[in-house]
Amino acid sequence: MKKLLLIFPLGLLLLSGCVKEEETGALEMTFKANYDGTPLVMLDEYAYDGGLMMTFQRFNFYIGNVALVDGSTKENLLDIEFVDFDNMASTEEATAGYSILVDEIPTGDYAKIQIGLGVPADLNATADSDYSGSHPLARASHYWPGWESFIFTMINAKVDSNGDGLYDDSSVLYHTGSDEAYRLVEYTFPIRIEKDKVSDLVFEVDLKALFQDGAGGYIDILANTNTHNIDDLSIANQVMDNFTQSLKIVN
Amino acid sequence: MTTQHTRTLDRQIGLGLLVLLFLVSACGKTDPPIEKGVDLSAFPYQPKAFDLVVPDHFSQMPIPSDNPLTVDGVALGRYLFYDPILSLDSTISCASCHLPAAAFADTVALSKGVGGTLGVRNAMSLANVGYYQNGLFWDGRVATLEEQSLHPVQDPLEMREDWNKVEEKLQQHPEYQKRFRAAFGIENSLDIDRYLAAKALAQFERTLISGTSKYDFANFDWGTQQQFFTSSELRGRNFFFSEPDDPNDPHPGCTHCHTSLLLTTNEYLNNGLDEAPELTGFSDLGRGGVTLSVFDNGRFRVPTLRNITRTAPYMHDGRFESLEDVLDHYSSGGHYAPNVDANIQAFVLTEEQKTDLLAFLQTLTDQSFIENPAFLNPF
Repeated sequence: MKKLLLIFPLGLLLLSGCVKEEETGALEMTFKANYDGTPLVMLDEYAYDGGLMMTFQRFNFYIGNVALVDGSTKENLLDIEFVDFDNMASTEEATAGYSILVDEIPTGDYAKIQIGLGVPADLNATADSDYSGSHPLARASHYWPGWESFIFTMINAKVDSNGDGLYDDSSVLYHTGSDEAYRLVEYTFPIRIEKDKVSDLVFEVDLKALFQDGAGGYIDILANTNTHNIDDLSIANQVMDNFTQSLKIVN
Repeated sequence: MTTQHTRTLDRQIGLGLLVLLFLVSACGKTDPPIEKGVDLSAFPYQPKAFDLVVPDHFSQMPIPSDNPLTVDGVALGRYLFYDPILSLDSTISCASCHLPAAAFADTVALSKGVGGTLGVRNAMSLANVGYYQNGLFWDGRVATLEEQSLHPVQDPLEMREDWNKVEEKLQQHPEYQKRFRAAFGIENSLDIDRYLAAKALAQFERTLISGTSKYDFANFDWGTQQQFFTSSELRGRNFFFSEPDDPNDPHPGCTHCHTSLLLTTNEYLNNGLDEAPELTGFSDLGRGGVTLSVFDNGRFRVPTLRNITRTAPYMHDGRFESLEDVLDHYSSGGHYAPNVDANIQAFVLTEEQKTDLLAFLQTLTDQSFIENPAFLNPF
């Protein structure tokens, strides 16, 4: 009997030693922003609808609930992250894009990837003061108490409305937020995660497409300079709908 | 023929000469005597965590793991903050330009350093500086408080002292020997260095939390301690924070840069202070001087508005003497430069609105912060 008691723990120990440690790899997601097919460089001049010229100062957005999907298997990659093009001050920087590395992903072949554009409702119920340090949601610039929401996407631009070459006439401040502006997008795209390797996934978004009005034209940005009114989120919702169409995987 | 005795004598003389030679050669050496410092191990070192009191509506302050706040560390930092020993001629301390009564800002546009030399930028308030996670100074040229503390000592326009000399002064100072021992557990006075001094200063500065102004008590939920804005303050508050029904109505939009809690986004922006048709046309490059990106030229840190009535004059160069001047600047839409922030747009500001805004800004004064005895001069 004593021998049996000794064998059991030994057997357990040997078995536990045989349990295979999960093999993992990494995924680098790179986001690139264009304007009408050209790399988006802050403060460069771009032509809007009707020849109106504009310069951009900020373009950034949150992504949440990022997951790899294969059949019934779902591998959560990120709860929340911030994609920031604000400092893209040259074509080189714009072409390189903004990268996010996610590691310790179980190896395997995944058929789809899900990305939430904005801040998921559970996190959007919190505030910037609930976070500190380098947490993506700790940005005071991206929480709006009046909306009780984070700012999901921020597009700041200036417009030369009178054609004098100076960008001092009108601003465009399209900030989206509130739970109803959150969009979950799913892409069918084969992604292989290999042991100790980094797989790449490149997304592109065309900023001009975010200004489409849903009727084949573009939003009148001189008549609609901002999206700050919580009681009228029509433009904010349009921008988010456009975002789901514009954000594409390119490889 | 020599005798045995004579040989022995010769040997003794030879040995004596060798010893003499050795001694003479030793006397000729120029090496300084080995400095041993003072053994501090007999002094107490009983580190006790500092209880950092953070208002409920504030987030937890990020504290670096290699510099936790201790009672003795904060106390040492406070002494160093007020001690002119850090300057060349013992005339300037940190508190010379960061005055408690001015919410740890200066009352002049440009602060004076050793010998009366003028600095190039306004000394900004240190209220809640422990929350700044996006660089420090007006241009964000350093990342941490620990790093920041090292700069003013060697700045020729500020304390103009050599850190090596400061270290010597502190190492030889009996009180600081004990205080550094108590704060960091060093064994010897020679272990006192600039990095420990900077750590202590950073610890003290992290305690400078301002979150108990009338604004805090009226704008956030304080239960039985709740306070209420006057009508004018409330109108000013709403004008400051809210958006018009018609989004195209020009409005101040203050809160885009001065958000509700810290009253700053801690970002670097151009608020239209200087005309610059080209981005290379700024006399002070600000953030661009650090990043070397022309895109950042003319951009400066968005300062907190907490205690703003105490921190005049305003802007990075102290060009505006009053808050009325500041409001006039913003309502005018500022001066043109390609990177003036898109939120800076001209708007109509009536006298009543100005009065209301000023009344609201008055509520940001945190008297208990300004008068907190734990923050005042310990000498």
